[in-house]
Amino acid sequence: MVYLASLAVAAALLVHQVTERWQTSLSEGLTIQVPPPAAADAGGAYTARVDQLIQILREWPGVAHARHLGPAEVSALLEPWLGEAGVSQDLPVPALIAVELAPGAAPDLPALTSELQGVVPGVLVDDHQRWLGDLLALGQSIKIGALVVVLLIILSAVIAVIFLTRTGLAIHQQVISLLHVIGAHDAYIAQQFQIHAFRLGLAGGLFGLSLAAATILSVGAWLRATENEVLPDLALSLSNWSLLLLLPPATALVAMLTARLTVLRSLSRMP
Amino acid sequence: MVRFEEVSLCYDAGPEILSRVSFALDPGSFHFVTGASGAGKSSLLRLLFLGLQPSGGRFSLFGRDVAGLSRSERALVRRRIGVVFQDFRLLAHLNVVENVALPLRVTGQKGQKIHEHVTELLSWVGLADQLNAKPPTLSGGQQQRVAIARAVIARPSLLLADEPTGNVDDRLAVRLLYLLEELNKLGTTVLIATHNESLVARFNHPVLRLKDGSITLERAAYVSSTSTAGTAA
Repeated sequence: MVYLASLAVAAALLVHQVTERWQTSLSEGLTIQVPPPAAADAGGAYTARVDQLIQILREWPGVAHARHLGPAEVSALLEPWLGEAGVSQDLPVPALIAVELAPGAAPDLPALTSELQGVVPGVLVDDHQRWLGDLLALGQSIKIGALVVVLLIILSAVIAVIFLTRTGLAIHQQVISLLHVIGAHDAYIAQQFQIHAFRLGLAGGLFGLSLAAATILSVGAWLRATENEVLPDLALSLSNWSLLLLLPPATALVAMLTARLTVLRSLSRMP
Repeated sequence: MVRFEEVSLCYDAGPEILSRVSFALDPGSFHFVTGASGAGKSSLLRLLFLGLQPSGGRFSLFGRDVAGLSRSERALVRRRIGVVFQDFRLLAHLNVVENVALPLRVTGQKGQKIHEHVTELLSWVGLADQLNAKPPTLSGGQQQRVAIARAVIARPSLLLADEPTGNVDDRLAVRLLYLLEELNKLGTTVLIATHNESLVARFNHPVLRLKDGSITLERAAYVSSTSTAGTAA
């Protein structure tokens, strides 16, 4: 159960890590799409209009830097989707201008769009929020899903410990009855079970976490080896690993408390 | 020490095992409780070590009304009572020393002091050479002596023995009774449930006789009865 919980928590942490990274990088910039030129308008006039757009952008409040992405860079961007053969000189591709915003800046995007469209009608100013919004919503769903999985695992663990403890009580009924007769407090009897539950929970938790760590590291290494460009690097930070390390003792504590409460409840029925 | 006032006991919706029983045990006294099988001897002892709740009446132990005790207080009262069971109830996975030490461990005592105390007692009951033995390897008489040692290790004020001679021969039964008399001389109040009338006759102690849910006291130093009177000492 700790294995599954570790994977769920790791998935949530990775998604959080990745979405934070995306949010930071995408929120700090804009992408200006300049529609491809009509056949009669190709060449120097189109380039001059793009340069004019860049000039406007560089002077716009809140813009730190603006740069025209050359054909090679655009081809590289399109290659994962269209392949090498898919990107050709004849393909009408919009000119792209990468804009870097100053830290904390919030430029007036409607005014900027209007100004740019005055030079080249149909210019698109993409602040990435729509795409980012979808990504963040996906990330949030994954995190909520992971939380639900962890809660279900906790519930399953509690139920398992309750049944195991009741079985233990039945098996050791003679011992418990004797301890009760010779004057053991309920807490003393419960303590014997809770210590046992804690040890088992901790041992099982450490084993599960070890397996989960091996799985996470293996998947990360495999993804790096396949040189995938779609999925981000699945490497957890040190603080994330520290969080995962809390799972075994947390599991042990849950097992211990559940066992204690189960025993005390059973003993309360004895005179 | 013990006072029963109109105590009744029945299991679930069954017939009354004990019917408005009243008696008292003075500190340091030695009593037998006798009756036919099913008369309620074991049930009476179970009431006394708080293993059952009466269905009527009230009783007090060590001057305290049992009905008013909290769970924690009941555990503390049980620590003042030693119980010897007919079936010994030794724990097979523990050796003789560990079995006898159990009441001391429950009270939080630890270490070498327990070991010394236990081995001294086991020597007194004649088991000095069986300290590390496990109960299944012992004879019936030896197991009963271990059970007695466990019942008295914590120096209880009240010792209850349920058919302590039920699984041993007559010669050993007499020896065990002499052992319990020695304990009584040290100040422990003793109550022995037995159906062995010859043993009762041999040892001159008051007898609580159970029959049809009622109790009578014979050869008593202290008398209190709600039913047919027996022969007073």
